[in-house]
Amino acid sequence: MSAATIWKCWFALMLLLAATTASAFVPLGSANIVISLAIAVAKALIVLLFFMELRGSRALVRAFAAAGFFWLLIMIVLTGADYWHRTDALAPIDQVR
Amino acid sequence: MSERAIGFQYATVAQQREASTLGMWAFLATEVLFFGALIAAYLNYRIWLGDEFIAAASLTKVALGTANTAVLLTSSACMAMAVMTFEAGSKRAPVLWLTATALLGLAFVVIKASEWWLDYQEHLIPALNFDLARHGGVAEIFFVFYFCATGLHALHLLIGISIVAWLATAIGRGRIVPGGSTTRLVGLYWHFVDVVWIFLFPLIYLAGRNG
Repeated sequence: MSAATIWKCWFALMLLLAATTASAFVPLGSANIVISLAIAVAKALIVLLFFMELRGSRALVRAFAAAGFFWLLIMIVLTGADYWHRTDALAPIDQVR
Repeated sequence: MSERAIGFQYATVAQQREASTLGMWAFLATEVLFFGALIAAYLNYRIWLGDEFIAAASLTKVALGTANTAVLLTSSACMAMAVMTFEAGSKRAPVLWLTATALLGLAFVVIKASEWWLDYQEHLIPALNFDLARHGGVAEIFFVFYFCATGLHALHLLIGISIVAWLATAIGRGRIVPGGSTTRLVGLYWHFVDVVWIFLFPLIYLAGRNG
């Protein structure tokens, strides 16, 4: 990886940071979190592919890197499939209000 | 602690490099799940508690959070420069880039600590001085997440700063020889801590900034 690539990545990361912070102040309803998480994924991909050099890594290393995120996805989706669709579990939560 | 260019169990430098990189990624996968569980809990509470939870996030200091994100992203670029110049065979350049990385990491912790001090003054610290009457119970749940997430992240960063400072000293004294994997592995850890923050930043600081 060349110095030029590293600083181009840095510049892209700074632009994305400015974009995500600016977008948070625009009222877009539930689209706000979708935009900010999409930008977070873009920033993470720059760091993972370039700074952490997954771009030039062998398939086995990439599989190890992907495994953690894949299992995280399973954890979030399966947890969400239960908790996010419960209607009868709100009572104890209401008590904290 | 002198590092040999190649461990006795490896046939080639390339094999050693691949094995150690793979080992580091296996460790980082466990770290993804470690921080991921916190983020999954955040998403559950955010969906359960809705607007009140999102409104609590606006009590965080967005200017400090954004500045800290820029500091950490820049530190990662410096770390990438350190690894690149080290593997190009330079001795002086990686020491300077590693020093810059550690100093930026330290700047992040100082900014974070000043933010925690502001939180303390605003009675936002659960189990210490949280003002339930002023901020409400839902905000307390948000701040439990906030302190767990930023505290564990800061702990990872402090460990990273110590390792980077040690590495800069070791390279400067010629204890780390070119061809070894240590610099790359420290780089992977540092960038990972950056990736964690990239996801914590929008969840903590950018929620509830409008409406």
